[in-house]
Amino acid sequence: MEPIQIDRLQEKLYREVLPNGLTVYVLPKPGFSKTYATFTTDFGSIDNHFRLAGGEDIRVPDGIAHFLEHKMFEEPEGDIFATFASHGASANAFTGFERTAYLFSATDHVYDNLKTLIDFVQNPYFTDQNVEKEKGIIGQEIKMYEDNPDWRSYFGLISAMYQEHPVRIDIAGTVETISHIDKETLYSCYHTFYHPSNMLLFVVGGIEPEKVLELVRTNQAAKTFPPQGPIERLQPKEPAAVGQKQLIVHLPVSMPKMYFGFKEPSGVPVGEELVRRELAVKVMLDTLIGSSTSIYQTLYEEHLISDSFGHEYNIAPDYAFSIIGGDTPDPDRLLARVRELIEPVLTAGVAEADFERTRRKRIGSYLRMLNSPEAIANEFTRIRFAGGDLFELLPLYESLTLDEINSLLREHFDWSRLAVCIVRGEDQ
Amino acid sequence: MTEASFQRTAVGNVRLHVLPTDRFKTYAVALYIGSPLREDRVTRNALAPFVLRRGTKTYPTTQLFREKQADLYGAGFGFDVYKRGDYQLVQFQLDIVDDKYVSESDSLLRQGLHFLGEAVTKPALENGHFLDRYVQDEKETVRKRLEAIVNDKIRYAAERCMEEMCKHEPYRLHPLGKIADLASLTSDELYNNYIEWLKESPMDLYIVGNTTLDEVKAYVEEAFAFPERASSPDYVRAIPTKKEGSVNTVVEKLDVSQGKLNMGLRCDVTYADDRYPAALMYNGILGAFPHSKLFLNVREKASLAYYAASRYDGHKGILTIQSGIEVANYEQACAIIQEQLEEMRAGKISETELTQTRAMITNQLREGNDSAFDRIAFDFNTVLSGKKRTPEEIAEAITRVTTDEIRQFAETVQLDTIYFLRDRKED
Repeated sequence: MEPIQIDRLQEKLYREVLPNGLTVYVLPKPGFSKTYATFTTDFGSIDNHFRLAGGEDIRVPDGIAHFLEHKMFEEPEGDIFATFASHGASANAFTGFERTAYLFSATDHVYDNLKTLIDFVQNPYFTDQNVEKEKGIIGQEIKMYEDNPDWRSYFGLISAMYQEHPVRIDIAGTVETISHIDKETLYSCYHTFYHPSNMLLFVVGGIEPEKVLELVRTNQAAKTFPPQGPIERLQPKEPAAVGQKQLIVHLPVSMPKMYFGFKEPSGVPVGEELVRRELAVKVMLDTLIGSSTSIYQTLYEEHLISDSFGHEYNIAPDYAFSIIGGDTPDPDRLLARVRELIEPVLTAGVAEADFERTRRKRIGSYLRMLNSPEAIANEFTRIRFAGGDLFELLPLYESLTLDEINSLLREHFDWSRLAVCIVRGEDQ
Repeated sequence: MTEASFQRTAVGNVRLHVLPTDRFKTYAVALYIGSPLREDRVTRNALAPFVLRRGTKTYPTTQLFREKQADLYGAGFGFDVYKRGDYQLVQFQLDIVDDKYVSESDSLLRQGLHFLGEAVTKPALENGHFLDRYVQDEKETVRKRLEAIVNDKIRYAAERCMEEMCKHEPYRLHPLGKIADLASLTSDELYNNYIEWLKESPMDLYIVGNTTLDEVKAYVEEAFAFPERASSPDYVRAIPTKKEGSVNTVVEKLDVSQGKLNMGLRCDVTYADDRYPAALMYNGILGAFPHSKLFLNVREKASLAYYAASRYDGHKGILTIQSGIEVANYEQACAIIQEQLEEMRAGKISETELTQTRAMITNQLREGNDSAFDRIAFDFNTVLSGKKRTPEEIAEAITRVTTDEIRQFAETVQLDTIYFLRDRKED
């Protein structure tokens, strides 16, 4: 057990890598009633083509990581929610592009609940019947998102940008793709990606670190996992250009919704450099078009945007893109105005005072985020998988420079890499 | 379960509630301003916070105001307008970092309270009223928000169900008001309404963080300029409305791929009632959790839905049920849900359901202790209902609720409205 003291944040983090490869982190939060734990595999919707060292290529249907997440909750003795409920734990899971996380939060029976979490995720139970039954449930989940304009415009934009990379597919797949999922494909994914060496356990809350680690050590020592080599993820070569400059989706909405974004060239940095780039681009976007900027205010006063206007940036080793936008009465005009307002800044750069203000703002929201055990566990894991450290972001923020921000600004706003997705009613 | 409790005083007839603790990295500040839901006031009250966030005396332009907010380490400033019982609540909120994590000479809590005080009580004015330009912009913003409700079909169906069920009560009103009332409102009328609102409404200011009651009181006295308030009004509890006549079924058609089935039910138990813990248990067993009857029977057994849940509004005495289903499965889903309601009425509740639900509710109550804003929201229930309850007391009461008490409560639950949002295709 290695304690890592983070003086500036007044936190102490414990870390241990078990013999089977599982990495465990424990962050005690004295005085907290709650304990929150996530058990995460480095396996998400984009991992649909892979190979184990020495093995054969495996290609799986779109949406399988998410399907697997649903099915893990079923155990031979029934639904695992019941076991959690008996110990007053609220359990859940989510699947993203790159990872699947299982979690619970509880204020009592914490060690029992932790054992339940680890055991159910390490005990797959799929039958032909329970796999078929799930298709109806996930089918309704997919239909729920089909009616959601935010979701449709968000994923519409990504699918317009990317031509080959599986980040373009919907996380849950489609009713058609999930129809090809059976228990064999589920087991094959499970055995590849749920090996302890591909997983991370994070426990945060009012717990004793040594007790948590001892429980996990004993639990893991009693199970056997065949040794496993590295997983090779076979991602297709993504062309530099966006697939489609503009995509229109028809849905009944009160006002059109437009998201636009820039697809960055692939082959971006990895590890700590990737994390730095993520922070820097986010600060850059916020300095340029965040809610305290003159561009934002101008667009708002011209009634081209509403409070829904926002921006985000997603980066992974083989894709990186921004998403900017929200509701607007006139998508074409909004895009034209954004370009007009941004052009001069691309030449002159953002002002030092604006950059400093944004940096403070982002440091503030970072510290606010550390109040939340949920956010700590989820963000820590996400950044860890990317090769960085959530608790080292303060010095990273402080080391950003104006030159760096301005050079990222010019690099990112390359109009030839722009894609747009508009959701509008048939009559708009 | 808790290490300390709120300390209270008043400043100018505004109730002040302070919870000193060093557990969080920020100071959490919330100001609640309530007013009875009234047709002639609801839109005006709702507009107030929108106009206030546009500029203040010291920061007259929106950009200056937001720059100041960013300078305060991105103080999480925001507001929300919502309903609790028959009240419209406007809640301002501020989340600002504790100075000890950053290098700052002047207290950030002090600066934060000055910022909030400016925003709420010292607006930018022209000719003795709000700026016309801000008022026009924000009328537009509120109109767009009201129109946008239909975009989120889950929320739209829930709100339509309540609107139908409560069509003869103030509760039918949307907390943001009515689109039809927006156009004719003038800056002058809005400003006068705002002053009245500040003078007459019950107001509660909460602060949780590394501070003391005395420190906060001093800051609030210098930061806020409330108009003269004659008294410190309390919230008045409404008596739950009884169900009359047969079940009202409403079917609405829109271009949707999934049907939304919502039900509204009435009960005569609210937060202050001795039977409140039984009502919580009823809702928990019926549909609040993934081990509940609705999730198990509609989703897991029949595979009809991704979500099927119930919610209990203890300030209004209303239960709601919501699920997203295939349009063709409407009858089957309705039948399964009604069977679960019937089971509750018959007291068909297993020992396991009781134990699991108790454990889950207790956990929810305890988890609230770890979030400053949850602590505030929980405490505010006492202000709103006039009934002092602590999470510990509710948890304790939950352990004593019997199946028979839940069954007795179930007898008071009346299905009032079934609302179904479906596609435009014919059956």
